[in-house]
Amino acid sequence: MSTSDFRIAAIALAGALTCAIGAGADAQLLTHKDLPVATATTMAMAAIDACKAQGYNVSAHVLGREGQVIVAIRNPAAGFATFENSMKKAYTARTTRAPSGKFAETVKGNPNAAQFFLTNFVAAQGALPITVGNDVIGAIGISGAPGGDKDEVCAKAGIDKVAAQLR
Amino acid sequence: MIKSLFLAGAVASLALAGSADAQLVTNKDLSVTMAVTIAQTAVETCKAQGYNVSAHVLGRAGEVLVAMRGDDTGPHTLENSMKKAWTARAQRAPSVNFANAVKQNPTIGALHLTNMVPAQGGLPIMVGMDVIGAVGVSGAPGGDKDEACAKAGIDKVAAMLK
Repeated sequence: MSTSDFRIAAIALAGALTCAIGAGADAQLLTHKDLPVATATTMAMAAIDACKAQGYNVSAHVLGREGQVIVAIRNPAAGFATFENSMKKAYTARTTRAPSGKFAETVKGNPNAAQFFLTNFVAAQGALPITVGNDVIGAIGISGAPGGDKDEVCAKAGIDKVAAQLR
Repeated sequence: MIKSLFLAGAVASLALAGSADAQLVTNKDLSVTMAVTIAQTAVETCKAQGYNVSAHVLGRAGEVLVAMRGDDTGPHTLENSMKKAWTARAQRAPSVNFANAVKQNPTIGALHLTNMVPAQGGLPIMVGMDVIGAVGVSGAPGGDKDEACAKAGIDKVAAMLK
């Protein structure tokens, strides 16, 4: 087999492999559901209102599938660190696909948990993933209540408010 | 001699303390509910016209009160809406004024400051003559259309801006 023959054969083989892969499920476009801004805003305000009703002023973030900000709400009556913190909690919940309180527990057990050193991770309770079935489509993070458990209750109130739409 | 200098200094301090500058400033600021209403109204107004937009509402110090990414918007619209609002807040005028100023003078100094953008679509939020924040909108086909939605947001809460 000459060099050029070998090259042609290799190209043919590569082409066949590409076709084989092309025929696989990966060749289809991905289909997924995402949060509309109206739903995200309803969630964030429901969370802020739920905390307000309990006497806590909080800020809120709702992030989308890629961790992008869909709605960010600074509560001027809350501490100014709460705006950033609510984003980071939501980011942590989104990327770990779990309540941010779970990551906080992990860091307690292992203060050198590698993810702790990534940008926007925070070891603090108060954010929950937003799910459609088993698919995590975003996250909501709350900060400002005296205790992450109280922040999380308000985050859950936000999700519960639109639960009927999350399918 | 030294003692009399101290005394003179003390008298000067008292004189300053007695001036109007010694009083705390009193400011009115947007509540979270009003800020969200402004942003959401702007986004929904544009949506009703067939335009997907993002919006920002900034406070007195240019701080983000609400950032809202509209459905199916270009990824740059969130940033652009912030910068339009920033420009309107900083200059206490619609951001289109700055766009026009840059047309006249492309090397205008403020253009080189962070967050300034010569684009229509940002409006200051006023209480009387006091600028307490700004709203910026981006995503409609034309800054004039963005600005109309920004205005709709402010109009929605006009009765409370006093």
